[in-house]
Amino acid sequence: MSVLRPLDKLPGLNMATVLLVGSEDALLQQLADSMLKEDCASELRVHLAKALPLPSNVNRPRIDLIVFVINLHSKYSLQHVEESLHHVDASFFLGRVCFLGTGAGQEHHCSLHRNTVLKLAHTYRSPLFFCDLEVEDFRATMAQRLVRMLLICAGHVRGVSALNLLSLLRTSETPPPEEL
Amino acid sequence: FSYKAKKNTIYMSVNQQDLDPDSTTDVEVVTDTEEELIKECEEIWKDMEECQNKLSLTGTETLTNSNAQLSVLIMQVKCLTAELSQWHKETPEITPLTEDVLITLGTEEFQKLRHDLEMVLSTIQSKNEKLKEDLEREQQWLDEQQQIMESLNALYSELKNQFVTFSETRIFSELKTKMLNIKAFKEKLLSTLGEFLEDHFPLPDGNVKKKKKNIQESTKQLITLHEILEILINRLFDVPHDPYVKISDSFWPPYIELLLRNGIALRHPEDPTRLRLEAFHQ
Repeated sequence: MSVLRPLDKLPGLNMATVLLVGSEDALLQQLADSMLKEDCASELRVHLAKALPLPSNVNRPRIDLIVFVINLHSKYSLQHVEESLHHVDASFFLGRVCFLGTGAGQEHHCSLHRNTVLKLAHTYRSPLFFCDLEVEDFRATMAQRLVRMLLICAGHVRGVSALNLLSLLRTSETPPPEEL
Repeated sequence: FSYKAKKNTIYMSVNQQDLDPDSTTDVEVVTDTEEELIKECEEIWKDMEECQNKLSLTGTETLTNSNAQLSVLIMQVKCLTAELSQWHKETPEITPLTEDVLITLGTEEFQKLRHDLEMVLSTIQSKNEKLKEDLEREQQWLDEQQQIMESLNALYSELKNQFVTFSETRIFSELKTKMLNIKAFKEKLLSTLGEFLEDHFPLPDGNVKKKKKNIQESTKQLITLHEILEILINRLFDVPHDPYVKISDSFWPPYIELLLRNGIALRHPEDPTRLRLEAFHQ
């Protein structure tokens, strides 16, 4: 039952909500804090979740943007995200979903290849960002970008819809063929 | 397909709807403009609720990895075409430009302008200050440099003067006068010496008692001590490597003894008949 649907409720006044899904609590928390520090005219809400489906007993506002955070250091996080993707309504993928890969900076810790995540983002035709969430400066920049995306997805920016933004952002091109 | 199209018009109006509630924060607006705006907002809100109801009737579909790409792409195409047609149809509505709205908009614009101008003013003022400081500093530097220039110029002119007086003819005439002075001094010394010697070391009077028999050698004319000294001096300076003079009979022996004993003259180490003057100048 509990499939996440976009536009399932009326929007709150001046409110924008983002849902961060990922298996690493600490990273999500840090990213949430950085996003809330950003200066913007609208009221931001950040929800954190380890996996979908979300518990249905909680009264929550409608979700404007879902960010799937994949940690390149653990295959476990990719598995979680893939399973959660099945609980998302198809219409979310019209620009209200994006993928975020973290931990690409430390090559020797990475158990996931970049291409795997690239392929995933390409399959769902959604934008993919790479950012080392542990480094504060990168995190702050990423938070800024996510907040701007969120504002557009929530409709607070006149003349640009989430779908427009999606077409403007270059979705990942066909990933290079698997290296043997 | 029509469901999708409707959905997309909903997207559009949803996106635009959020703007209008925000613009009704003008407290100074006269009541009827306010009422009008509120009415507009309420109408839009009603539309929203209708759309929302229609939306909730549409079903959900989830994707699997295999069908994801194709279905998402198809969806995107449809939605984009619907959005495009919506943009074509729609004409932008402006809020009715009543006096009150114009006034509020105008005051807003002016306030923004004032704020910007104030920023510009403060920037320019601080720039001005900085330029003044720079100017002062440069002026100081210039003054110092000028002082240095002046002192260098003075030094230069001094040195130039010294240099100018250093011409050849001047040196030449100076040397000449020096030589003349030295010559005069030398003459004076010699004459004083001659006088002194005459006074204190005269030639013996009457000469030696002549013993016609014993003295076979005809006594030559004796020369004065002055002359002996002259001979010795000349010999010393003419032939420095052999300054010896043979003692001749014209030298009065006591005077020779005198010279020898006082260290003024020296005998030749091997030849007792030869004398030299002591080299006082070496």
